[in-house]
Amino acid sequence: MALSLYLDRSSALHRRHPLVKVMAMTMLFVATFLMDDPALIAPLAVLVLVATAASGALPNLWRLRWLIAPVFVFTLVIWTIFYPAAPGSAAPHREAFRFGLGMALKLETFLATGLLFLGTTTVEEFAFALTRLGVPYRAGFVITLAFRLVPVFLESAFVVVDAQRCRGLDFSRGRLRQRIARYVPVIVPVFIGGLRRADQMAFALEVRGFSAGRTRTTLPRPRLRGADYLLLASAVALMVGYSGLWLHGVGRITPR
Amino acid sequence: MSTPLALEVRDLRCRFTDPAATALAGVSLAVRPGELVAIMGESGAGKSTLLRCVNALVPSLVPAECSGEIHVGGMPVLGRSVGDLAGRVAMVFQDFEAQLFSTNVRLEVAFGPGQLGIPGDEIARRVAATLALVDLTGYAERDPSSLSGGQKQRLAIASILAMAPDVMLLDEAGTDLDPLGRGELYTALARLRRERVTLVAVEHEIDPLLGADRLVLMRRGEVIATGSPADVARDPASFLRCGVRPHDLAVLGDRLALDLPLDLEGAAEALRRRDVRPRILVSPQPARSTTAPILEVEGVGFAYDGGPPVLEDVSLRIHAGEVIALIGQNGSGKTTLAKHLNGLLRPTRGSVRLDGVDLRRIPLERAAQQVGYVFQNPDHQLFAASVEEEVAFGPRNVGVRDGKLAARVRDVLAAVELQALGDCDPFLLSKGDRQRLAVATVLAMAPRVLILDEPTTGLDYPQQRRMLDLFARLRAGGTTVIVITHSPWVVAEYAERALLMRAGRLIFDGSFTQLVGAPDLLRSAAFELPPATRLGYALGIAVRTAEELALSLGAPPRPDLRARRPAGD
Repeated sequence: MALSLYLDRSSALHRRHPLVKVMAMTMLFVATFLMDDPALIAPLAVLVLVATAASGALPNLWRLRWLIAPVFVFTLVIWTIFYPAAPGSAAPHREAFRFGLGMALKLETFLATGLLFLGTTTVEEFAFALTRLGVPYRAGFVITLAFRLVPVFLESAFVVVDAQRCRGLDFSRGRLRQRIARYVPVIVPVFIGGLRRADQMAFALEVRGFSAGRTRTTLPRPRLRGADYLLLASAVALMVGYSGLWLHGVGRITPR
Repeated sequence: MSTPLALEVRDLRCRFTDPAATALAGVSLAVRPGELVAIMGESGAGKSTLLRCVNALVPSLVPAECSGEIHVGGMPVLGRSVGDLAGRVAMVFQDFEAQLFSTNVRLEVAFGPGQLGIPGDEIARRVAATLALVDLTGYAERDPSSLSGGQKQRLAIASILAMAPDVMLLDEAGTDLDPLGRGELYTALARLRRERVTLVAVEHEIDPLLGADRLVLMRRGEVIATGSPADVARDPASFLRCGVRPHDLAVLGDRLALDLPLDLEGAAEALRRRDVRPRILVSPQPARSTTAPILEVEGVGFAYDGGPPVLEDVSLRIHAGEVIALIGQNGSGKTTLAKHLNGLLRPTRGSVRLDGVDLRRIPLERAAQQVGYVFQNPDHQLFAASVEEEVAFGPRNVGVRDGKLAARVRDVLAAVELQALGDCDPFLLSKGDRQRLAVATVLAMAPRVLILDEPTTGLDYPQQRRMLDLFARLRAGGTTVIVITHSPWVVAEYAERALLMRAGRLIFDGSFTQLVGAPDLLRSAAFELPPATRLGYALGIAVRTAEELALSLGAPPRPDLRARRPAGD
């Protein structure tokens, strides 16, 4: 079972320089973050969806539908219910719904942007970009390794769940507290297994020179090209444009 | 001037401090450039510690007191860090999964040279060259997790080979592989030898290492025997003393007092020349059960979530008291089929019935009381604070309480010979003990059928024997035992019936004798029976062990050559 989010394709976005992708993603996050109005967040969401489809990364969204759909519904409902509209407001429910929809779209756009990035960028490219942005190599390596290990731990957890079910452990019975307690026989083996694997991995890393203390090199990397500058310029324009709107009070929904 | 040694170890002593234990008690070893030296011995013999001292993992990362001398290419090792030696001494570990952490094969191989500061263009050249050497050209953009076990281990080799080390150490690199993967691994190693790469390999099986330049047998931190593999292997007693399964043909030669070559053709020819003819020994064949089957598998097909079929049209019946070996390459569908037998997986086509009832209608926790399943890695199920608690967990889940629970825990621990360790922390047990504890945790559910997924992988010969003797006792008690295994001698010595899987289909279901008579089928599934069985077949008889073959060839009966059980396992 493939649990990694990276999808090996040869799309235009896959070929972009990782540093540009990190910067463009950050600017898209900022633009999305500034807006509350769903009418202005929707174009960003559509943009991300189109880019995801063009990069062949839609399978990631489908795989995480169990997360994406509940996040949308939960956010929409919670914000619509608890939106602090002024008493006697003409259309409190409509405004609350609009705000809830904006928040739901905002979170989904964050999620989809992150998935698009991880679907089109290898962890090594990510680490390289972080290093270029001044993050120490070891810190960048640890962050990227985490992305690789989360799926491995998940896979191990599935096996442990099966092994304990074979010993009569029923996860569906009882009250919430009892059910949570039943996960102890899963958590312990996954945790111990994780420690053992971390130990092995540390040995393997050391043997491959992780602490050799020499100046690190990489395979030759493509230089920044015209398409990279174009992507960067587009992202800058998008962020500047949305910042301008925000500065003029457009796209904000302020609870009264 | 003579060529300097690639590796020289002189009177190496190593003592771990926590917990205190002597691992090496004065080991000396000299390896010339381009040699392949094989090291064998039971668990705890000091093999891995020796390798880890050579690349400084011990004592620089694992605290220990070490004395003596180690030189790699003339450079002293003791006192240096692993980082200092990176690029000079490389190591491939048994667990290939933990050695791979990159997104694709190309980046995996490039990682090591990158850490050494090799220029990018040179890294690219090395990546291409080493992938060619381990026969992975064309896989450069593949995600390592999508490779087979053999490919992963060869990738691990390529990833350290790209650092151009003086010495390459292999710590049981073939242990977790299926026969096909192991074959690929040793083909790759043969290619490395032609390229004059210096190799030191620790292994549990002698067969793939017969072509090594030297074989070293170790026991309790000391070298017991060293010499050409053919010479050392001719003394089965020293193998058994060191907890290593002796080569079948060496046992046969010993029993017949003949100097038999250790290859099949040579041995068969030598026997023919001496006009040694086999006598057919009629051993009682187990009667096929006429009782109603416990499990019935009818036309089962299975695919994971819209993927390609993993099982296709599998049908079989399993009766009480059978001992069945489920064999085939990794990915052939063995584990998937086994997981259908207790309802862990539901068939997408066909049905599995337990006592005539479709397993879809039986909750897993109830089915698990009838059909137990022991996972390959014991650490996937151990979690409790004591061995007794661990065993009690399953029966308690299904409502067994008080005196009945205590009695069951006691009986099961006695059956797996762990009664003296009831209060111990499961995580502090040896691998062999943890494996038997994992079996005990499932046995405690009192199942009628016990399925074990590769229960002997990673265990040394005495531990494997102990595990298999347990299955024999269970079988004698009426339990049906189904063992998924890659080990030819386990199939030969213990299985009455074999199920052979290939590409999701059951291509053979019959007795062991019938399996011996189907060499083409076995070859098509990349499975080889043990040398004694194959030699017997070449001579026209079906035998399970070298001892059986020796008896049929006229050797006088004598106590069998099994390893003595080590005191502490």
